[in-house]
Amino acid sequence: MSDAIAIPPLAVAGTDLALESNAVLPGGVTLTLEPPASRWSLRARTAEALGAVIGRAVPTRIGETLDGIACLGPDEWLADPPAGTVVPDGAGQPVSVVDVSARGVVIRVEGASAARVLCSGCPLDLERFAVGRATRTVFETVEVIVWREQADMFRVFVWRSFAPWLWHALKAVQLG
Amino acid sequence: MLLIRCPYCEEDRPEVEFVYGGEAHIARPLDPAALSDQDWEHYLYIRRNPRGRHHERWRHTHGCGRFFNAVRDTVSDRFEQTYKAGEARR
Repeated sequence: MSDAIAIPPLAVAGTDLALESNAVLPGGVTLTLEPPASRWSLRARTAEALGAVIGRAVPTRIGETLDGIACLGPDEWLADPPAGTVVPDGAGQPVSVVDVSARGVVIRVEGASAARVLCSGCPLDLERFAVGRATRTVFETVEVIVWREQADMFRVFVWRSFAPWLWHALKAVQLG
Repeated sequence: MLLIRCPYCEEDRPEVEFVYGGEAHIARPLDPAALSDQDWEHYLYIRRNPRGRHHERWRHTHGCGRFFNAVRDTVSDRFEQTYKAGEARR
């Protein structure tokens, strides 16, 4: 890794969006707005080239996650680097590391019926979505990234301008 | 719901994650300036529009983001197969 460039954190907070930070749905599922955090969008032709620049192993199969990095496409990853990690320079390498902390927020959906709550607007069969998988998909018409961290806990990444709508849409879910 | 197999994700995914991209395997002329108006019009606008087996491009926009090719029956709307961009016509 060569010299690093420090980029100040630009992450979005719930207060920027006039959103509350917690909500409990009638079925016992809780919604939590995660605090602002650093996030990177990673692009590279090969996982090896990317791993060499960021100094960490990256998952190679689409949908897999490894240590806070999710493989979203054949040449695209999303990372949750620990706070304070500086963006590596990697000059001359065919790799792109972009700080997208300001791009969106993460809504945690937690509870025994978390999958059913998300399935109210998401066309994937999330009940059968393996723990530890992540993918880009849609909720109604809004693009989201769904990451299943535990059997009863999903993290939903959404762009900031869509976040208030998604928050209220999730809050309004009524399980039959 | 119609399911489409993404050759990159290697799984069947819901149609709403995809965007249609027109007929596949249309090669851009190497020297556009050498074409007659009629040939250029043919390249830009004229499509086969078959009844039955159709080769077309799709993009897994709300997924892995990749373009790929599909063979779909335009009568039954059934997807016969999908394959990665750049592979030979099937």
